[in-house]
Amino acid sequence: MDPAGPEPTGRIEVRGLTKHFGSFTAVDHLDLDVAPGRITGFLGPNGAGKTTTLRMLLGLVRPTAGTATIDGRRYADIPNPLTVVGSALEATNFHPGRTGRNHLRVQAAASGVSDKRVDELLELVGIPAAARKRAGGYSMGMRQRLGLAAAMLGDPHVLILDEPANGLDPEGIRWLRGFLRHLADEGRTLLISSHMLSEVEQTVDDVVIIANGRRVAQGTVEELRGEPTAFVRTSDPDRLTAALQQRGLRVAPKGSGLQVTTEDLAVVGDIAHASDVAIHELRSEQTHLEELFFNLTETEGDRNRLTGATSARAGGSPDLPPPTLPPPSGPPVDPSVIAAPPADAKETGR
Amino acid sequence: MSAAIRAEFRKFFTTRLWWGMAIAVILSGAAFAVLFALVFTSDIARGPQGAAVPTTDAALAKAVFTGGIQIGYLLTLAIGVMTIGAEYRHQTITATFLAVPRRGRVMGAKVISLLVIGAFYGVLSLAGAVGAGALVLTAKGHHPFADSSIWRTLALSLLVLGLWALIGLGAGILIPNQVAALLISIAVAWIVEPVLGLVLALTDWGQNISPYLPSRATAAMLESTSGGFDGQPVDQLSWWAGALVLAAYAAVMAGLGTWRTVRRDIA
Ligand SMILES: Nc1ncnc2c1ncn2[C@@H]1O[C@H](COP(=O)(O)OP(=O)(O)OP(=O)(O)O)[C@@H](O)[C@H]1O
Ligand SMILES: [Mg+2]
Repeated sequence: MDPAGPEPTGRIEVRGLTKHFGSFTAVDHLDLDVAPGRITGFLGPNGAGKTTTLRMLLGLVRPTAGTATIDGRRYADIPNPLTVVGSALEATNFHPGRTGRNHLRVQAAASGVSDKRVDELLELVGIPAAARKRAGGYSMGMRQRLGLAAAMLGDPHVLILDEPANGLDPEGIRWLRGFLRHLADEGRTLLISSHMLSEVEQTVDDVVIIANGRRVAQGTVEELRGEPTAFVRTSDPDRLTAALQQRGLRVAPKGSGLQVTTEDLAVVGDIAHASDVAIHELRSEQTHLEELFFNLTETEGDRNRLTGATSARAGGSPDLPPPTLPPPSGPPVDPSVIAAPPADAKETGR
Repeated sequence: MSAAIRAEFRKFFTTRLWWGMAIAVILSGAAFAVLFALVFTSDIARGPQGAAVPTTDAALAKAVFTGGIQIGYLLTLAIGVMTIGAEYRHQTITATFLAVPRRGRVMGAKVISLLVIGAFYGVLSLAGAVGAGALVLTAKGHHPFADSSIWRTLALSLLVLGLWALIGLGAGILIPNQVAALLISIAVAWIVEPVLGLVLALTDWGQNISPYLPSRATAAMLESTSGGFDGQPVDQLSWWAGALVLAAYAAVMAGLGTWRTVRRDIA
């Protein structure tokens, strides 16, 4: 193996993916790109269609329309897929009467992986002893770890994880972050779904946000996050604006106060103090990404409104983020923006 | 394919189901053999009323050795149901199809493993039945292995258990709820269908149909005589026709199940 490591593979391409359950549209003409060697967060409120999308990608649910491929192949067309794509799905359960270790050994047999690897993986996810007990008594955290071990069984270079942080305690989430980072550093491609932005925001490179089965935003975390801003309310906005601008900060009036483009509240406070202006309120604002996501989850119950809001089709839609949002500092989110890093020019499939 | 089959065997032998079933099969095999051996050789059964009682030593041995086979095939029927029912119930079917996304291949592996598992339980059942039955028969002065057709009956009883497991496999898919599938298939195979067979045999037109029912085909396959309501032996197919009929049931059920499984969303 050359020192630079193998060329990253594992491009996931979803085009026009649609799933109807009866008259209900769970996934609606979804386009999605996951670049090789990167961690992509797949975000959306509950019921947005994340799990359904991942299940279609994995050949478990038959799409009504559209395609989903991994390195150009449908999952079902990959010979011995566990060695190429590992996945842990939300609802993946274990037979309560079978030990976790035996569950992995069944999967190992099905994909020609050695039993020795099973025990190595149980060590890796930290449940070597517990996995010898029947799965019926496992905690959610243990199930998640066992699920991760199952995903890693065939040493795949693509990992698809549905809500891997669900049911983990803060310590478990920290462990998971480190684990995922480690996997990504090895050049693997990761697609991680979550209904909580905060769970994955620190971990992922790219973000895809869906709501009501449609894509709402796609881009790198930096792009979507926009520049950090602070909100300040003061007795004398004009004077403070002038003082801040003099120090090279961007300032804009916002509601009853000012929005300052900085993440450093102390700077704002110091400037105000130096120019003798009283401050009534000073706080960091949500990032654009946070706000975007918050608005989606807040209006979750209001299906019609949301559907209307997203109807201009995803990506760069002027309707989203809602007009009240500060504009992101980056360019409008557009599918082409996230186009893969140069690593592109590799052969697909192997 | 062989990997998928190996995985199926691992699934089966890594829960407690298999040895619970094993004990039940051995015990029921032995118990029914002893019971049948004692009843059929008793003076009352051999009297004028006992028309359906086997008369030759060979027929007697076949009836005794396969006495527990009905319990045996009900158990493998249940195993067939649970092979797939438990996968849906506990959602391990997701893991199964992730490892082997060609669902037809998974179903093929299940069919092959169930036939082997059926034969495995058949061996256990016969170990109990032949062991206990031969002892009683010999003690009563009958030859337990009077002619070679007994061996054919014994061999076919291994197949019987596998074929019923395949019928269960189909039932377990066609009836989505595992508990309902178990209750319905056992109730039908144990009570409804045999009674239907007896009732049909009372009518002229039904007489021609009843030999083709699964339980009647099974009896024919094993050449075990059985009586109708009147105690007279009922008509049955020849052993090979019975085997073909039962195999056809198994093929249809497993085929329908496969057809359903290949299309179904795993959500
Ligand atoms: N088999 C099914 N039949 C009918 N509706 C379904 C089915 N599966 C999912 N749905 C519906 O499709 C929508 C999307 O579900 P999905 O599980 O994909 O959402 P999700 O984004 O994974 O949500 P969560 O964050 O709660 O896991 C939901 O409204 C759900 O009720
Ligand atoms: Mg989900």
